[in-house]
Amino acid sequence: MQQEINETKAKTRLPLRAGSKYYEIRLESIGGLGANLCGKMLGELGVKHLDLNSVSFSSYGSEKTGTPVKGYIRYCAKETEIRVHSPVIHPDLLVIFHQALMQDEKVWEGCDENTEVILALEEGRERAAVPVRVKACYGVRAQKIAMETRSRINVVMLGAMAKVMGFVPLSDINKVCEAALGKKYPDALKGNLEGIRRGYEEVEETAGIGMKGSPGTDGREKTDRKADRKSAHCPAKAVSPAMPEGGINPRFGSTVVADLSPSRQGYIPVFIKERCINCGFCDSACPDMVFQFAKGEYNGREMMVNKGLDYYHCKGCLRCVDVCPVNALVKGLEAEHPDKKYFLPNQDLLRKPDYYIEAGPDGYITSESYLTEKRMEGGEV
Amino acid sequence: MEKQVMEYASGNEMATIAIKQIGYDLMGYYPITPSTQIAEGLDTMKAGGETDLIMIAAEGEHSAAGICYGASVGGGRVINATSANGLLYALEQFPVQSGTRYPMVMNVVCRTISGPLSIKGDHSDIMFMLNAGWPILFAKTAQEVYDFNIIALKLAEAVRLPVIVAYDGFFTSHQKRRCMRFERGEAVRDFIGAKKEEYPFLDLEHPITVGSYMNEPDLIGNRYQLHLAMEEAGRKLPELFESYGEMSGRSYDKAEGYCHEDADTILILLGSSYETAREAVDELRGKGKKAGIVTVHTLRPFPYEEVHEYCKNASCLLVADRQDSYGAGGGNLSIEVRAAMQRYGSIVKIKSLIYGLGGLDFFTEDAVRMAEWAENPDTPDFGYYGVDENAGTGNGREAREEKTVSETSKGAEKCPEAAEGGKKADAPFFAPLTAERTRIGATSVTESGEGFAQVSGGTLNATAAVPKRLAPGHGACPGCGIPVNINLLLRAIEDPVVLLFQTGCGMIVTTAYPRTSFKVPYLHNLFQNGAATLSGLAEICYRKQKKGEIPPGDIIFVMVSGDGGMDIGMGSALGTALRGHRLILFEYDNGGYMNTGYQLSYSTPKGARSATSHVGKYQYGKTFFHKDMPQMMAATGIPYVATMAESNPVDFIKKAAKAAYYAKTTGTAYVKALSACPLNWNDTPATERKVIASAVDCCFFPLYEVEKGKTTLNYNPEQAGKKIPVLDWLSMMGRTRHLQKVEYREVVEELQSEIDRRFARLKAKSESPIL
Repeated sequence: MQQEINETKAKTRLPLRAGSKYYEIRLESIGGLGANLCGKMLGELGVKHLDLNSVSFSSYGSEKTGTPVKGYIRYCAKETEIRVHSPVIHPDLLVIFHQALMQDEKVWEGCDENTEVILALEEGRERAAVPVRVKACYGVRAQKIAMETRSRINVVMLGAMAKVMGFVPLSDINKVCEAALGKKYPDALKGNLEGIRRGYEEVEETAGIGMKGSPGTDGREKTDRKADRKSAHCPAKAVSPAMPEGGINPRFGSTVVADLSPSRQGYIPVFIKERCINCGFCDSACPDMVFQFAKGEYNGREMMVNKGLDYYHCKGCLRCVDVCPVNALVKGLEAEHPDKKYFLPNQDLLRKPDYYIEAGPDGYITSESYLTEKRMEGGEV
Repeated sequence: MEKQVMEYASGNEMATIAIKQIGYDLMGYYPITPSTQIAEGLDTMKAGGETDLIMIAAEGEHSAAGICYGASVGGGRVINATSANGLLYALEQFPVQSGTRYPMVMNVVCRTISGPLSIKGDHSDIMFMLNAGWPILFAKTAQEVYDFNIIALKLAEAVRLPVIVAYDGFFTSHQKRRCMRFERGEAVRDFIGAKKEEYPFLDLEHPITVGSYMNEPDLIGNRYQLHLAMEEAGRKLPELFESYGEMSGRSYDKAEGYCHEDADTILILLGSSYETAREAVDELRGKGKKAGIVTVHTLRPFPYEEVHEYCKNASCLLVADRQDSYGAGGGNLSIEVRAAMQRYGSIVKIKSLIYGLGGLDFFTEDAVRMAEWAENPDTPDFGYYGVDENAGTGNGREAREEKTVSETSKGAEKCPEAAEGGKKADAPFFAPLTAERTRIGATSVTESGEGFAQVSGGTLNATAAVPKRLAPGHGACPGCGIPVNINLLLRAIEDPVVLLFQTGCGMIVTTAYPRTSFKVPYLHNLFQNGAATLSGLAEICYRKQKKGEIPPGDIIFVMVSGDGGMDIGMGSALGTALRGHRLILFEYDNGGYMNTGYQLSYSTPKGARSATSHVGKYQYGKTFFHKDMPQMMAATGIPYVATMAESNPVDFIKKAAKAAYYAKTTGTAYVKALSACPLNWNDTPATERKVIASAVDCCFFPLYEVEKGKTTLNYNPEQAGKKIPVLDWLSMMGRTRHLQKVEYREVVEELQSEIDRRFARLKAKSESPIL
């Protein structure tokens, strides 16, 4: 943590917007991808290697694997005092660690023609629509590089960021990585440095990404920053949900609207029904109530029969695959199963939440109320 | 000036560094967000040999405060750190410490108090300390956290009072910034000086009594002395600030202002908001508006004179509080500022706002709008900033439906149902779980000839037909054992169920407003008190049924708690068991305080790594054995105690059915399941059932039941030929894998022999009905 202030280093020139004293970065990620550590490394980078002043922090909440996380970094001249403690609203650089996050409108909040965007692209899903007009959009096959270099997505993104930001030498990124990981995980350091290098070299402007205008965002890019920020963040105007007193929540079972598929790490359980003996082990081991058992017939006997899986709620933990005694559930690459056989939405539902219809199994809706804006299904907004 | 080095660190990290440099003797603590990092950081330093601080992980904040009190009476230098309900849980201890005049320092990392539970920052906790007799320094930056920690101990020992260093949770505690610290720890210790004790408690040749029973004329005298000490603290602080300024180059005052001298309008804010608002002042000044801002560094003693001095030239003051003293027309800072101005005869206009509760972000624009509010003659003197006036009224439902139309029109394309007027959006997702739907006869319990419960059915296939009480879509980590165990428990119970969850992962991931996973009545209470709360709830239900106010019929009351809740809530659970209320206490034991980032619990295996039992050159992980909660529960004499594991699912279901049977007919049942935590066990989510099976096979977690005092071993790995050494199980998890190393052989052997001893006792008990 500690270091003498380096006085000899040449001053870093920050590409600042007119009227702004900060270069601001926002990381959009999901718990478990390492965005938090990435943010810390970027903050240290500013203070210790770039001769800047910097601050870094994450969105605060109960961080579970798979829940949305935001990271914020501000850079400014060394002499400038960083007084603001609020999150980054108008990022100069927006970094999206998981492609599924792109569908969350909040992820794009405050982005405009001054914003550069870096996307972690998934294999086979290199086309993605950016809903707002931005300065430039870059893509990097982060998951693939991470797998091949045995590093993590966060370091690949770090390398890509160094390239896009333009004012960060690769050698300095390597130094913060060594400081952060070298001591704790010396064995993993080599792979991580390789991940950084490949992220740096392989990030490229993605021409294939359409910059479409979308409802509610058209024209926003022209509004001046102050006005925009006010409408987005002035609580005096914000809708406060009229709620039953005491925080009582009458919407029993309403988490059912949450699509948990972004929690998956590329794998799903594939159901081979012909092998199934309906023992129920899968149902007993599944934390997410994915298995849809219903009355039926098996081997001429009336019993509970496994009808299929609700992949909306499957987080891809593969516990079911491990406990299945007859290999009726096997581990499969999700990319190879775009149409999932035996995909059966929760059978207890009286009605389908419309978000099921709208977003589909690969849609994304956060399970954290602080990220949601519109009140719709399940009473969330 | 003393030589300093730069740190890129958060407020919590700077507190940790100060504590290390001061060289405290002892820390008594209990983890609570957002203050937990302090204990975690110190434990890391301890494992690496950077500090020899004694760290005592209490079973709750009340005990932590007691540990600190005892240690400071003994003449030690003592530190604590807490937040929110942790502070409130320990509250009664604080006047004891100040009234008997034993100095120490406590960091209060401010967070909103429950309920509803939230972990984010505001000042509702710290304001409960205004009457505790502790000086309170409030730091608004990470740098001040460091500086005030050093000043605090010197002040504490100078006036013989315990002192608080408070700062904003998350905004100050977690944001990393550039800070300075002294290079040499000795410099810090020299500044503070040696501790002097007038009446050393441990001087056996001059025995003293501390904590007398005191009658009225003496008691008021004692309180008067406390008042004088606080006054003395007020006089002492400027000296301390000055000498510290000479040493560090950073000088402080009891209050601080920015552009306040000639300001017409002054905002008064506490904590990190002051820094953010300075940007707003620059902006307003740029527009020609004479705005200024003032904050205080000491909440106690309150700097009346300084506040008046800083604000006396303004024509309008606006005090914004991140908490409310409900019914007082303002938060506590507001009340104090009003008193300060009145004291010096000021007739300045003062307005009060409540803002930023529960960590609601505060932007520069908010400060600008507050200044506008202050100047506008039409705005009221008191209000909530950023709240819709229609919220919180009794007719919330109607208001919401209207809003669904007006406010979500933007998203109408995406949500056609909402655009229809929200009617469909309010319809339930599931049919209510009536007794008719759940009593399907998949599992049934009868009484055997010997008076014991006998279960039939309970197969996995048949019980799959019991509708799940928990809806999917919860936010637990992939592979989490908690929903697995809750579902296994509840599929055995066919009567209607009422659930109470104690604070923990299980509660956090299922009930994040505005959603809930529960399809049955559900209540949360803080984990000191869930069992007692459920006993009250159950008793009123039984009474209402008796009086015919609600329909008759069996209802099973179930408390669900983690092993953490069974530490801090041990007293409440044992008390409930001793009283014998008809309910189930269900513990999912994942061996750690996972919800706060895996600190050790009393159920963590010896030798395991956790955030408060790091592994390093000077430390091998947790130092004491896992708690045997089932045996403690068995000793209360309740009719049913059992342990269960998902690796033996039918055994699990049968025991759950028995627990419900006893809760229905006799009294309290306590059942405990080992629960996987892939994140913090640091293993693979897919294979957790195998890890659980190994815990059973190595007899770390034996499967048995104590029914009406009779112990039955339900599964004996020795007889099944499956017994494995404990190290085989430990090697499956990242948190215990280091124990494979030869240098930890002794630790493993100790754990093995303790497990063997406990298992031998169980076998003996199962063989003898008397035991």
